Amino acid sequence: MRAIFLVAGAVFRESVRDRVPYSMMVFAILLMAASYLISQLTAGQDMKIVKDLGLAALSIFGLLIAVFLGIGLVSKEVERKSIFGLLTKPVSRAQFILGKYAGLVGTLIINLGVMTVAYYAVLGYMLYVSSPVARAAWPAPALDPRLLIAVALIVAELALVTAIALFFSTFSSPLLSTLLTLGFWVAGHFNADLRNFGTVVDSAPVVTVARALYYVIPNLAPFDVKAEVVHGLPVGADHVLLTLLYAVVYSSVLLTAAITIFRRRDFK
Amino acid sequence: MSATATSARPQSAPLIALMAVLMAASIGVQVVRDRGWQPYQPENPTLWVESGPLLQRLSLGLDSLVADIYWIRSVVYYGGKRRAEGANRSYESLYPLLNLVTTLDPHFRIAYRFGSLFLTEPPPAGPGRPDQAVQLLTRGIERDFGRWEYFYDIGFVYYWSLRDYPKAAEWFLKGADRPWAAEWLRPLAATALATGGERATSRRLWTELLNSDMSFMKSQAELRLMQLDAMDAIAELTPVLQRFIDRERRFPRSWQELADVERLPKVPTDPTGIPFYFDSKVGYIDVSPKSSLWPLPLNVRQLPPPPS
Amino acid sequence: MPAAIETEGLTKDFQVGFWRPRPYRALDALTLSVEPGEVFGFLGPNGAGKSTTLKLLMQLIYPTSGVARILGKPAGDVTVRQRISFLAENPYFYDYLTAEEVLAYFAKLFGYSGAEVTSRVARVLDEVGIGAERRLRLRGYSKGMLQRVGLAQALINDPEVVFLDEPMSGLDPIGRRQVRDLILRLKQKGCTVFFSSHILSDAEALCSRVAIMAQGRLVSCGALHEMVAFELKGWELVAAGVNDALRVSLQGRARSITALAEGRYVIDLPADAAPERILVDLVGAGAQVISLHPVRETLEDFFIRQVKAASPRQTGMA
Repeated sequence: MRAIFLVAGAVFRESVRDRVPYSMMVFAILLMAASYLISQLTAGQDMKIVKDLGLAALSIFGLLIAVFLGIGLVSKEVERKSIFGLLTKPVSRAQFILGKYAGLVGTLIINLGVMTVAYYAVLGYMLYVSSPVARAAWPAPALDPRLLIAVALIVAELALVTAIALFFSTFSSPLLSTLLTLGFWVAGHFNADLRNFGTVVDSAPVVTVARALYYVIPNLAPFDVKAEVVHGLPVGADHVLLTLLYAVVYSSVLLTAAITIFRRRDFK
Repeated sequence: MSATATSARPQSAPLIALMAVLMAASIGVQVVRDRGWQPYQPENPTLWVESGPLLQRLSLGLDSLVADIYWIRSVVYYGGKRRAEGANRSYESLYPLLNLVTTLDPHFRIAYRFGSLFLTEPPPAGPGRPDQAVQLLTRGIERDFGRWEYFYDIGFVYYWSLRDYPKAAEWFLKGADRPWAAEWLRPLAATALATGGERATSRRLWTELLNSDMSFMKSQAELRLMQLDAMDAIAELTPVLQRFIDRERRFPRSWQELADVERLPKVPTDPTGIPFYFDSKVGYIDVSPKSSLWPLPLNVRQLPPPPS
Repeated sequence: MPAAIETEGLTKDFQVGFWRPRPYRALDALTLSVEPGEVFGFLGPNGAGKSTTLKLLMQLIYPTSGVARILGKPAGDVTVRQRISFLAENPYFYDYLTAEEVLAYFAKLFGYSGAEVTSRVARVLDEVGIGAERRLRLRGYSKGMLQRVGLAQALINDPEVVFLDEPMSGLDPIGRRQVRDLILRLKQKGCTVFFSSHILSDAEALCSRVAIMAQGRLVSCGALHEMVAFELKGWELVAAGVNDALRVSLQGRARSITALAEGRYVIDLPADAAPERILVDLVGAGAQVISLHPVRETLEDFFIRQVKAASPRQTGMA
């Protein structure tokens, strides 16, 4: 356990000193600030735009951080052979993988936390400068705590994507891992269409295959409650909890697979 | 002294078993979650990019592939709407989607042809927009070498959905002049002009399509021909029914009664084997709503009300 | 007392080629054993299987067949790693960390904490000769300095067995001397040192036993002095006051006679020439014997002979 914690700490330290997450965070925060200016052009829909853009920035930049750091975690170490120094210490290969994952999820949480603070800062500023008339027209309060539900689900989704990235990087090159992870992210968002195959196609084997794929491929669409939260609509508590549970379970599948592959590898 | 071979490659079996268990658990969680509340799935999928040229630029050179993806979305969208329950089925995104597909890949022939078929289908099976169908096909003519099939399809829309027989004939003739055009376009034009609206002409039109190599069109053709057969059958039954009414001065209480009295070989059924529908209160013969031929495409002759 | 390191029939095949992979036997049935406290030299030309053996012992790669044991436990036992250490060839660590930070990280992985970490880190950095640079990020280090950091991390847990893969590579002569001294210090502490090298003079100076590898196979293994002891190549005789008549009479029996100065010659005698007789002749002729040395085969000669004699590598297919 201690070894996992130490490896995670090393990952976190690396990410702090790495330029990539910083740049992403800066971009995201700038975007949120800019969203305030953009919102002035939208004739009354300003709060919606700011909320939408902010959550989108969290999603996209979080995704980029998750993918690029996640790929580097294992691939870079193997390529540069710094892994020899680590695997010859009293650390098992499983602890290595779990430590890397924990470190990256921790990094993600910190980064997204900072971005969320910036997000609320922009929203707070909007609240401050808006007139009571404008405020009355908003479907949900500016500093709506329910936005955090959307953020939590974004974090969970990204933790899952990180697990995907880590899994691929245990056996393929950095470039291929990046492409595969992004591919699965896209597939994960179109996954819902597979479920509805039954309403379009009559052939039973095709429908069965489509349904099987729906369950096996990571299903990322349910993590998206942005529309509800921005419009102030209720979000099913069961849905949120079950989706978070799904993220935990599915990530475990991927981590187990990553450990299985990593344990059997030769490092020449 | 030799140790158990733990210096060898580790066994993966227990981990793989764990993976299988966890995967099953994830499927279980999904099944339970899918039963409950779902986040907002827009009725009409958000087309983030409505502009064809913009999407083209965004596709970064993978236009053809993105066109395929959007074509699949169009089919899923249309199919999903068609099979959905509920009276309110709006197909408003269908034309924009088809527009996107054909902008990305102007030679996507199926998109123009099937797309126009989808668009002409009257509600509730489709949006019932022959104007959009013609628009789509016109773009096909402009962007895909003016193939004769598009002229033929436009003529078809005019004939079948818009019932504008001179216009239909005009388009069939234009198509006949195109390279590789089928030889039956010219006689078809003549027939459309002369006897448009007659069942016999329509039958000819649909029979041509039976030879199509596209399965969707073929099954449409089979359906239409059966509907025409049904209408022929109704036309034969109507005088029989009339005789009954003239004699008995009332509508028959059931098909069985009519069959017995008029000495028909059996209870009349439509080509799919389902008995016709006879409304004794209002007084018309139609195919049963349970039949796959329902609703019939053209107006069916209505019997006069029984003498009071 | 179990052997510090032992292998039995350790074999490794790599699959080479993409479309129809063929096995390439990098290591063929290596059986050897190293006693605690030995400095063991693992020698051979490039491609002989030295790195493969070291990686098999550290379980960075898995054997195709055979077993490897360290301190009585199977190679790859995580607990044994507490008591051993490894230095890879051309080591690379995390270039965004400083030397102190890397070593502190490793020290904590070994289970040390707090002040002990700090003191150990300082001690090993002193021992390998890294001064104020220890606070700079590894990104700026030269190859030689990285090698020292590598040695430092191999010492930090006071190991009982140390595995070094080409520890002298990339070092200047001063650095090499320092590494040699380090290995000797480890030996004095009772540590077992297993190192691979293709620099034979280092092995001659340090090792009690060596193994010579070629083409993936062990061609020779044993104590150094035994292996090269009976190969006497000849004698080197330095004499002064040799007159021409004596020189001529010696020419038949000597391989070569080289003049150093006026009347002073180096006489290279073959191994079978009886030097006592020649001494008698010299003295009888009035010359003076300055020195007489046996010329033994060096490890290098022995090495080249063994390697040339080794049969080519098998493909590993039965």
